Amino acid sequence: MMLDTSDQKNFVAKVDDLKVYFNSKRGTVHAVDGISFDVYKGETLGLVGETGCGKSVTGRSFLQLLPIPPGVLAGGSITYNQQTNSSQRIETGSKPGFPNSRNFEFKKVDLLTLTGEEIRKIRGDSIAMIFQDPGKSLNPTLTIGAQLSEVFLQHRTEEILEMAGLGSEAPGAIRRFASQRNRIFDKWLVNLSGNRLTKSRVEKAVADLVAKALSDTQVPNPVKLMDRYPHELSGGMKQRVMIAQALACNPDILIADEPTTALDVTVEARILDLIQDLQQRRQTSVVYISHDLSLVRRICDRVAVMYAGRIVEIGTNNEIFKNPRHPYTIGLMKALPSADTARGELLAIPGNVPELINPPQMCRFSSRCAFATDKCKNQDPQLEKVTNSHSVACFADVAEISGK
Amino acid sequence: MQLRDYILRRLMVLPFLIIGVSIVVFTLTRVGGSPIGIYLSHEMTPDEVLEIEQRFGLDKPVWVQYLQWAKGVLSGDFGWSGISAAPVADVFPLKLAATMELAAASGLVALFLGIFLGTFAGARRNRAPDHITRIVAVSGASLPQFWFGILLLIVFWANLGIAPIGRSDATVFASINHPTGLYTLDAILAGSPRAFWDAIWHLMLPAITLGYGATAIIARMMRSALVEELQQDYVDAARAKGLAEKLVLKKHARRNALVPTITVIGLTFGFLLQGTITVEIIYRWPGLGRWMAASVVRGDQGTLMTYVLFTSVLFLIVNLIVDVVYANLDRRVTLGK
Ligand SMILES: Nc1ncnc2c1ncn2[C@@H]1O[C@H](COP(=O)(O)OP(=O)(O)O)[C@@H](O)[C@H]1O
Ligand code: SF4
Ligand SMILES: [Mg+2]
Repeated sequence: MMLDTSDQKNFVAKVDDLKVYFNSKRGTVHAVDGISFDVYKGETLGLVGETGCGKSVTGRSFLQLLPIPPGVLAGGSITYNQQTNSSQRIETGSKPGFPNSRNFEFKKVDLLTLTGEEIRKIRGDSIAMIFQDPGKSLNPTLTIGAQLSEVFLQHRTEEILEMAGLGSEAPGAIRRFASQRNRIFDKWLVNLSGNRLTKSRVEKAVADLVAKALSDTQVPNPVKLMDRYPHELSGGMKQRVMIAQALACNPDILIADEPTTALDVTVEARILDLIQDLQQRRQTSVVYISHDLSLVRRICDRVAVMYAGRIVEIGTNNEIFKNPRHPYTIGLMKALPSADTARGELLAIPGNVPELINPPQMCRFSSRCAFATDKCKNQDPQLEKVTNSHSVACFADVAEISGK
Repeated sequence: MQLRDYILRRLMVLPFLIIGVSIVVFTLTRVGGSPIGIYLSHEMTPDEVLEIEQRFGLDKPVWVQYLQWAKGVLSGDFGWSGISAAPVADVFPLKLAATMELAAASGLVALFLGIFLGTFAGARRNRAPDHITRIVAVSGASLPQFWFGILLLIVFWANLGIAPIGRSDATVFASINHPTGLYTLDAILAGSPRAFWDAIWHLMLPAITLGYGATAIIARMMRSALVEELQQDYVDAARAKGLAEKLVLKKHARRNALVPTITVIGLTFGFLLQGTITVEIIYRWPGLGRWMAASVVRGDQGTLMTYVLFTSVLFLIVNLIVDVVYANLDRRVTLGK
C-alpha cells in the first residue's frame, strides 16, 4: 500500500502481515498468523480477544521479547516511525530499505530485524512495556530505586553526567558507572578518593531522576519508596512503579499487556486513570492488551479484535461498539453485562478457541459461528474495509442478517 | 525487621544452642563407651581400675561430671589426648590448621567453580556447555569419595609418581617457620616460592578429591535455580528496560538463583567436613579427620569429645552465616515469622 505524506507522519508503528509460529511436538502453532494494523501517534489502541488468541505474542514482537526458539518469526514486519529529534541518542543511519528521510525528521526501522544492540537502545527508551503481573515483574532481591535507576543508567547517561556537573571529560570509570557498563575493577576505581565525590554526585543525579519518575505516578513519598523492596508494596503500588519505569524515558509507544488483570477493581480504575493522564500529557501511543471488552470500551480510541491469531475486526471505538460487524465481536459484546441485560442472562460464546496447529483454509470462527455457511468452511475470510477506518474479516453481512 | 536486628537476635540465641550441643555431646560420649577405655588393659586389678575411675571423677554423679568437663572447656582445658600423648589443647590447633587449609582450598574452589559452572550451564540450557557440566556434576555427586581418592592416588602417586603424599616435604618444611600452621600462608609470609609450591603441590590431590563432589552439588543447584529464574517475568521486564543480556543474567537472574543455592552451600559444608575424614586417611593428611578416626578406633574420649564439640559449634556458626547471607540476598526472609 502506498502511503501519502500525512499518513507517514501519523503512524508511529505499522504492523504488516506479522506471523509468529511456535514449533511444538504436535506441529506448528500459528500463534499470530498474518496480522496488520497501524498505531497512530498519541492514540490508545485496544487489542482484545480471548486468552490464547495471540495478543501477548503480538505485543512482545514489538520489542523482540519472544521466546525464540521455540518461537519462529515466520514473516512480516513492524515498521517503527522514529522521530529523530526526540531520540537523538540513537545513532542516525538506517537499515537498508528504510531511507532516512530528512524532510520528515522521521526514521523508519523494522523492529523485527534490528540487531540485539539496536533493539536494546529502543527497549525502555522509545518503546516500553508493562506486563500483566506487577508482583512478578519486579526483581524481589533489588530495591525499587535500584530497579528504576537502571532505565536511566541505560538510556540517559549523558543527562546524568550533565546533572552531576560532568561533561565529556568525566573519568572512564565514572562514565561506565553512569551507564551500567562496569568493568571488573570499577568497583574499586569509583571509590578512589579522586572519584568518590563524583560518584556520589552521579548517584544523586540518578536518585533525582528516579524520584521524579515516581512522583509522576502520584505515589506518596517517592524518596522513601526507593529504598523499599517489592514485597513491601501492594499490587497497585507495584504497578505504579512499573508504569513509572516504563514511562521514565518518555517512550513513543507503551505496550500494556493486561496491566490491571491482576489487580482488584478499585485499584484498576486508578491505574487506568494514571495511564491515560500520563499518556495524554506526553503524547504516548498505547497498545492496550486486554480480554476485557468493557474496559477497552472505556479507554481506547480504536479497537482491534483478535481471534485465533488473526485480527477479525478493527475500527474506532464507536464503530466497534455501536456497529460491530463480526459475529465474534457481537458474541463478545453479548457476553458483557449492560443496563438492559438482566442478571444471569450473560451469553458466553459456545465452544472453544480452535487449536492453532496447522490451521486449515477456512474461517477460524466457523466452528462457533451462528452465521456460518459452506463458504466459511472452505475459504479464509480476509479483512475488508467497511469504512475508511473500519475493517471486518467475515463473509456474512451481519448487519443485514441480525437487523442491527 | 531490620537485617541488623535479625543478626543480633540470631547471635543472642547462639550461646544457648552451644550449651545444648555440649550437653548432647557429653551424653553421647558417656553412652558410647567408657571415657577411660584407652587407659585400661587386661592386666589391671580392679583396685587399679577404681583408682583411675576416681582420678577421672567417674564416681561422681553425671551432672557433676558434665559441669567439671564444661568448666575445663571454658578454661581451655579439653582433657588429655591419649593417642597423641599430649593435652588436647596443645595438639588441636595444629590438626585444625591442617584440616582448615584442606577444607578452605577445596571449599573456596568448589564455591566459585560451582557457581560459575552452574551459571554458565544454566544460561546455555540444553546446549553443549550444559551437557558437559551435567556430566561433571553427575559424576561428582555420585562417585564415592574414597573410591575417587584412591583412584587418583593410584594413578598420580603410585603409577605416574608425579604427585606427593602427606602434607609437605620434610626438608622444605624445616626450611621455613610456621607461625600460622597453614603451610601456603606460612610460605607466603616467609617469602619462599619453593615452600609455597611444595604446599600447593601437596594440597592438589586431596583438595580435588574433596572439592569435586561439593563443586558438583553447587553447580547442579545453581544451574537448576538459574534456569527457573530465567523463566520469571522480571527477567523479561529487565530485558524490556534495554539491559544487555549479560546484565540481565548477572544482576537479575543470578542474584535470585543464589538464594536457594546458598542453602545448599551451607549443607555442602557438612559434606566437606565429613569428607576430610576419608581424604585425610587416604592421603595421610595430618588433620582433625584422621586424628578423630584414630581416636574412635582406640576409644580416646578426650580427643573425640573435643572433635564433636568443635564441629557442632562450627556447624552452628556456618548455619548462622548462611542464614545471614540468605537474608541479605532475599529481604523477604527477615520479614517472615
Ligand atoms: N513460550 C511459548 N511456547 C509455545 N507456545 C507459545 C508460547 N507463548 C505463546 N504460545 C502460543 O501462542 C498462543 C498465543 O499466546 P498469547 O499471545 O500469550 O495469548 P494471549 O492472547 O492470551 O496473550 C498460545 O495459545 C500458545 O499456543
Ligand atoms: S466468515 Fe462465516 S463463519 Fe466466519 S465469522 Fe463470518 S459468518 Fe461466521
Ligand atoms: Mg496474554
